Amino acid sequence: MNTDKHGFKKLLFRHETILLFVLAAEWLYFNSVGRNFGSLDNTFDIMRHSVEIGLLALAMTPIILTGGIDLSVGSLLGLSAILFGKLWRDAGLPIPVAATCTIIIGALAGGLNATLITWLRLPPLIVTLGTFSLFRGLAAAITHGADTFTNFPATFLFLGQERWLGLPTQAWLFIGVAVVLWLLVHRTTFGRSFRAIGFAPEGARYAGLPVERRVAMVYVLSGIIAALAAIIYTARLGQAKADAGTGYELFAITAVVLGGTSIFGGMGSVPGTLLGVAAIAVLNNGLVHARQPREVAGMLTGALLILALSSSALPKMLASLRARWQPSASDTQQNKTA
Amino acid sequence: MNRILTLLVLTGLVAAASCSQSSDSSSGNAANSSGGGKKITIALLPKSKGNAYFISCNKGAEKAAKELGVDLIFDGPTDPDPAKQNEIVENWITLGVDAIAAACENKEGISTALRKAKSKGIKVITYDADALPDAREFFVNQATPQGIGYALMDEAARLCDSNGEFAVITGSLTAANQIEWRKFIEERRAAIYSNMKLIAVRPCDDLKDKAQSETTALLAAYPDLKIIVSTTSLGVPGAAEAIKQAGKTDKVKNIGLGLPNENKRYVHEDVTQSVILWKTEDLGYLAVQAANAVVKGTLKPGDKTFKAGALGEYEIQGDNIMLGKPFIFNKTNIDQFDF
Repeated sequence: MNTDKHGFKKLLFRHETILLFVLAAEWLYFNSVGRNFGSLDNTFDIMRHSVEIGLLALAMTPIILTGGIDLSVGSLLGLSAILFGKLWRDAGLPIPVAATCTIIIGALAGGLNATLITWLRLPPLIVTLGTFSLFRGLAAAITHGADTFTNFPATFLFLGQERWLGLPTQAWLFIGVAVVLWLLVHRTTFGRSFRAIGFAPEGARYAGLPVERRVAMVYVLSGIIAALAAIIYTARLGQAKADAGTGYELFAITAVVLGGTSIFGGMGSVPGTLLGVAAIAVLNNGLVHARQPREVAGMLTGALLILALSSSALPKMLASLRARWQPSASDTQQNKTA
Repeated sequence: MNRILTLLVLTGLVAAASCSQSSDSSSGNAANSSGGGKKITIALLPKSKGNAYFISCNKGAEKAAKELGVDLIFDGPTDPDPAKQNEIVENWITLGVDAIAAACENKEGISTALRKAKSKGIKVITYDADALPDAREFFVNQATPQGIGYALMDEAARLCDSNGEFAVITGSLTAANQIEWRKFIEERRAAIYSNMKLIAVRPCDDLKDKAQSETTALLAAYPDLKIIVSTTSLGVPGAAEAIKQAGKTDKVKNIGLGLPNENKRYVHEDVTQSVILWKTEDLGYLAVQAANAVVKGTLKPGDKTFKAGALGEYEIQGDNIMLGKPFIFNKTNIDQFDF
């Protein structure tokens, strides 16, 4: 058991190293062919454009560690954005109060997911597929699909569009959330319990872990972070509309899985997720600067994901092949090399 | 070792996929750095990239870019996230384009990014769908309510020799743009075609089925009806289906605002005579011509006309460059258009 765990750690380390190399390769390549890719302005653009998806990916990491999934984050971002707009414009609340209320609403929405998953023991995939439609539908119903919240004060837009202490303002929030998540997952017993639940929920329960409470915690956290992402998104665009964040849940999941977190739970890391987010963000941005069509980004992200996953699976498969056909193993190896 | 291999494959893939056009872009860069005048780069933003309407706009834009010798970038969202248009514009700002011509999906949202572009010295114009006026210098306006109303009335009168009863199928009775168009239809009728008589206005709620059932009812109620005029795009094929099923193809004519592709079948069956819209290629052509002229300083606020290359002179009303009269698609030309 102990050596097994050690092995996993090693594997993780390697996966992250690969990603780091990929990221560096991407950066060097785009810097050489792209126009103004390496400029400071562009680096800040990459940060700005990936903060919301990055936040959702951070929130998704502990969820996937426990073997769950949250498909509702993108929809919750949309719902939170328009509720924030409504609280500010229609209810006349000051921005900080409206933002606080929005985050509380996010926590409640996450709590709804958590309740259904832990009390009724429904599969997270089904529950969050339901709330995925529910939240987006609510957002559309509240605004009749057409109402757009805009004309936010400049002090609020500062959060999404300006710089503070040398970095885009929202990057500081992102760094804060990343540090909290890293501490939670890697430096507390909570993190260890998430992994234990992901490996074997029943085992964790017999070991005396409060499985329901821990699982509920990650979904509520996800709701809070989705609401925070909604506020940043609104500040970046200067508008809140019911279709905000459409499809973000899949980008977030892609980043988490690319970062080496197992979709079955039990293993993964926050730094991996951050690298996954960065690899996708740099790819998306770099292609524009290399004057490539946007469609290529989707293709390459997919290819990147498949390759990263197979790179983790390949050694295992080769080892088992080698074990089964001892004489032909070297042939296989050579074929791969060719 | 396998991991190193994978790494090589990965980087190779990224490199290979980008190689296809890297020669292209490097030659563009070379043209920028060498030579006397800097090559102008114009970025054209559609509402969505796969939309046939905008692909057709881009055709015209490419023609203009070729004639002017400018570098044209055509890129737009491929997924429905409203933040995408902003991100593309922000990418163009750091890429360092000279002008951006945008068709705006979200008026307020995109204006944030366009203002930022403007503040960085990039010339911004809009086409097809406007942003907030302070976020751009010109709007290439494809059609005015007057232009649309007059064109519909003129075409209806031409088809019935300026004499007889006609009915209007509208999207809804309350939509502002529809009311505006009907106002100009009536204005034109009263001024020139006093022998034509508007006998009914029916809403179809922008549904083809409803347009069909309303038309069926109209055909039954008014046996002398000579032409149906739809002010909404789904009205035209809906009315056509009703006329066809009632067996009145020879007696009742059918025209309206719409897209060529939705109506081709009925036009070839002689159920629908004309579909009215604008030439999307000209819209793209004009947008690029205008963007280029703003960069060069030959088109300035306050100008009353603008000469756009091969297409000639265009009128400017305020800060709107007018594409001019709508275009009529009929049996003789509809197959040349694909949107």
